[in-house]
Amino acid sequence: MSHIDSVRTADEQAFIAALRKVFPGERLFVNRENLAPYECDALPVYTTQALAVALAESEQDVVEALQLCKKFGIPVVSRGAGTGLSAGAKPIAGGLLLVTAPMKQILEVDQVAMTARVQPGAINQQLSIASAPHGLYYAPDPSSQIACSIGGNVAENAGGVHCLKYGVTVQNVLSLRLVSAAEENFGEVITLGSNCLSQPGFDLLALVHGSEGGLGIITEVTVKLTPVPEQTRTLMADFGSVRQAADAVSAIVRAGVIPAALEMMDKLAISATEAFCKAGYNLDAAGILLIDLDGHPLEVEAELSIVERVLAESGAIAVHLASDDEQRARWWKGRKSAFPAIGRLTPDYYCIDGTVPRHRIGDVLEASERFAEKYALRVANVFHAGDGNLHPIIMFDGREPDALERTEKLAADILEYCIEVGGTITGEHGVGVEKINQMAVQFSDAELAQFRAIKSALDPHNLLNPDKQIPTLARCQEYRALRSCCG
Amino acid sequence: MADVTSHTVACDISDAIATQVAAAYRGEGDVASICLGGSGSRAAFGLGDQATLSLSGHTGVEDYQPDELTLRARTGTPIAEIEALLNANNQWFAAEIPSPSSSSTLGGAIACGWDGPGRAFGSALRDIVLGCQLVNGRGEIVRFGGQVMKNVAGFDLARLQVGALGTLGAMLDVTLRLQPQPECTKSVAFDVAPEGLDAWWQRTRSLRPLLSGSCYFEGRLHLRFSGRELAVSDVLQQLGGEVSPLDWRALMDLNSAFFHGERLACAYLPRYSSLPLNSGKALVEWEGARVWVRDGDHLALARDVAALGGFVRVMRGPAVSLQGVTSAWHRALKSALDPKGVFNPVHFDRCFTGEGFA
Repeated sequence: MSHIDSVRTADEQAFIAALRKVFPGERLFVNRENLAPYECDALPVYTTQALAVALAESEQDVVEALQLCKKFGIPVVSRGAGTGLSAGAKPIAGGLLLVTAPMKQILEVDQVAMTARVQPGAINQQLSIASAPHGLYYAPDPSSQIACSIGGNVAENAGGVHCLKYGVTVQNVLSLRLVSAAEENFGEVITLGSNCLSQPGFDLLALVHGSEGGLGIITEVTVKLTPVPEQTRTLMADFGSVRQAADAVSAIVRAGVIPAALEMMDKLAISATEAFCKAGYNLDAAGILLIDLDGHPLEVEAELSIVERVLAESGAIAVHLASDDEQRARWWKGRKSAFPAIGRLTPDYYCIDGTVPRHRIGDVLEASERFAEKYALRVANVFHAGDGNLHPIIMFDGREPDALERTEKLAADILEYCIEVGGTITGEHGVGVEKINQMAVQFSDAELAQFRAIKSALDPHNLLNPDKQIPTLARCQEYRALRSCCG
Repeated sequence: MADVTSHTVACDISDAIATQVAAAYRGEGDVASICLGGSGSRAAFGLGDQATLSLSGHTGVEDYQPDELTLRARTGTPIAEIEALLNANNQWFAAEIPSPSSSSTLGGAIACGWDGPGRAFGSALRDIVLGCQLVNGRGEIVRFGGQVMKNVAGFDLARLQVGALGTLGAMLDVTLRLQPQPECTKSVAFDVAPEGLDAWWQRTRSLRPLLSGSCYFEGRLHLRFSGRELAVSDVLQQLGGEVSPLDWRALMDLNSAFFHGERLACAYLPRYSSLPLNSGKALVEWEGARVWVRDGDHLALARDVAALGGFVRVMRGPAVSLQGVTSAWHRALKSALDPKGVFNPVHFDRCFTGEGFA
C-alpha cells in the first residue's frame, strides 16, 4: 500500500481501482504531483486537490466514469481546457476531475449547412481556423479563444468581444450530446436541440448553457458557423475621461448602430497593454474605445460615418481608423492580451464580471475606483462596453497576509453595486465558487430554492459539480447576516 | 436619457394569480389544475383549450429605455401596443414575433415560441429573451435572468419558458432585447420551379447579411433584404428580379389566406433540405428549413420529414406522434417547477411526454 492509499477510505480505493479499468495507464492520475496541475482553473486563488483526475477520450469513457461515480457516491467535476475564471472547474475534495480536453476533434465542418460538429475539448479558435477555407467562422470569441474549449464555452455560456452583434454561445449552438444524470435515464446519452432552427419540446439546449457542468456532461456540440464578413473596419477613439468614453457607448447605440464589437479600456489597462505588446494605443488617453463595424462594404461605409460623427460629438480627443488588417490585428491583439499584460504589473490579479445597463457603466467605473481606495487596491478595466459587461481586474499581492481577503471584499462590493444598478454578478464567466455568496444578494430564497429544485431534478444524486453555482439556504443566511452586521 | 411611457393600460394582477395558484397547490377548493391562456388569438392554431386563468388582464409596459435596447412588459400586454411604442422610437423586437390578431399577447407569444420568416437570417424569439418573472407551481413569484444583455447567474429558466406552452409557470412579465429598425427594407420576386430551389439556396448564402427573409409559394421565390439603403440597393441591382408584392407582415402573423386551410402543418428541417412538395399546398421559408403544408397528408409528411432529420408540428387537422422529446428531462423539470402539475396538464401530456401527439 502506498503512502497515499493509506489516507484513502476503502471505498475510494475501490473506486480508483474500478476507474483504472476504464482509464488505463497515463489516463488516470492519483498521485499528489500529478494532481497538482489540475487543482485550479484560471482563477488560481482557489485550489483543491481531486481524489483522481481521469482523461476522457470518448463518450463511452464519460458514461462509464459517471456510472462509477454513482456506484461509489463520488462527486465529479468535468473540465475542458481549464480556462474558466470563476473556479467552476476547481476539483472537489474526494471527488473525480473528469477532463474532456483529449476529446478535441473537429468531427465535421459542413460548408453547405454552415455548421460544425465537434467534441467538447475542441479549441474555440481551432474551429474558426478549420472553417476559414469555407469562408466561415465561429462567432463567439472569448479572450481565451486560443486555449478554451467549446464544451467549456457551453457550460459557461461564454461570450467574447463580438457577441454584441453575433450573440453569445447559446445563440450559436444548434445541438448537444450530453450524458444524463437524471434518475429516469441515468448514464444515457441524450441529444438536446436539433439541426433544425427549432426544437420539439422545452428549450433544454438553453437550460444546459451556463449550467456550469451541473446538469449533465457534454460529449458533442454542433455549432452554427457564420460567413466571414465581406468587410471589417476598426475604429479607435481616445477619450479624456472614462465617463465620456462610457457615455459614447450609449450614444452609438442610440444612433441606430450595432457594432460587431465595442470594447473599452481604461488608463491602467492601456499602459499595461502598450508596454506588453506595443499595440499603438494613446498613453495619454484616460479611456479608449475599440469598435469593429462589419458587413456589406456600403453598409460599413455608412455606419463608419455615423459612428465617427457620434464619437466626435461625445468628446473624443481623437478618432483613428485602422488603415489595414495589420493595424487592426495589432489593436485587437492589445485588447486580447490585456489580462496577461496586467498580470506583468502585479504579482496576482482577480478579474470579475458584473454586467449592467449600458448607461450605468460610468457610475460603476467611478464607484469601483472609490471602493478600491477603501481597500488600498488598484483596479484596471478592460471590457465589453457594448454589452455593459465589465471586467474590473483587481491587482493585489497574495504574499501580503490580508490581500486576498481585501480583494474578495472589493470584488463583493463592486458586484453588489452592479446588482443595485439593475445588473447581474456575472455576464459570461459563471458563478462557480467565486461568486456564490453574491447569488444570495441577487436572488431571493424562493428563486434559489427553484434553482436547487432544477438541479436535484436532473442530478438527484448530487454528483455533478455539487456545491458550486447555487448556494445552500444556510450559506445564504450566513452571508446575508454577515453583510447586514459588517456592511 | 429618455424614459418612455406607454399608453397601454397598466394593470397588475400578480398577487391574484399567485393566490389562485397557491390555493391549487395546497389543494384548497376544487381546482386541481389551471389552464393558462391569453387573448385566445392562437386558438385556431391548435391551442384551443378553454383557459381557466387568463393573463390578458395583466398588462402594461414596465420598463422601456430605448438606449438600452431592452423592454420589460407584463405578459397580458398586446404585442401590437408594444410595437406601436417601439415604432415611435424607430426600434423593434430583435426577433420577429408572430401575432395573429391585434389582441395577441406577449405571454402567448412566449408560451408558443413561434418564429417569423426572418428567423433563419437573424434571431429566434428564444434568442432575445433576457429575463422573466413568473408564478411557479407553488404559487411563489420568482424572477430569473435580468434586464442586461448578458447574464449567466443561475440556470436559464427564462429562455426555458419559450415554447413551453405555459406548462412550467404563469409568466408575469418578460424582458426582451430590441434593435434599431433597418434604414431600408425591400423585396424582390423570381419565377422558380421547385427543382430550381436548391440552386437558389446556394445563391442566397452569398446574400447575407442583408437577406432578411425568404418565401417560396406558388412558383415564386420572394427574397427580402434589410439594411442601409445604399447597400440594399447595391444588392438588388446585382440580383435583378421584380418588386415582390408579398405581405411579409401577414405571412409572419399567419394571416395570409394560405394559413386558413382545414388542415395545417409546419415542418422543421435542417437548412437547405429538399422536402418533396407533393402533399397538399406548400409554402417554404427559411431557405428550406421550414415548410408549411396546407391540406396535406400529415402522416406522410411526418414520415418524409423524419427521414430528413426534421419534425412536424400540426396546427390544425390530424395529429402525428411526436418524435425527439426527451421525456425523462421534461418530466423532471415539470416536477421541479410545478410539483403538483397545476399548470396546463393537457398541453404537457400531449406535447412533452413523448407519448402524446402534436
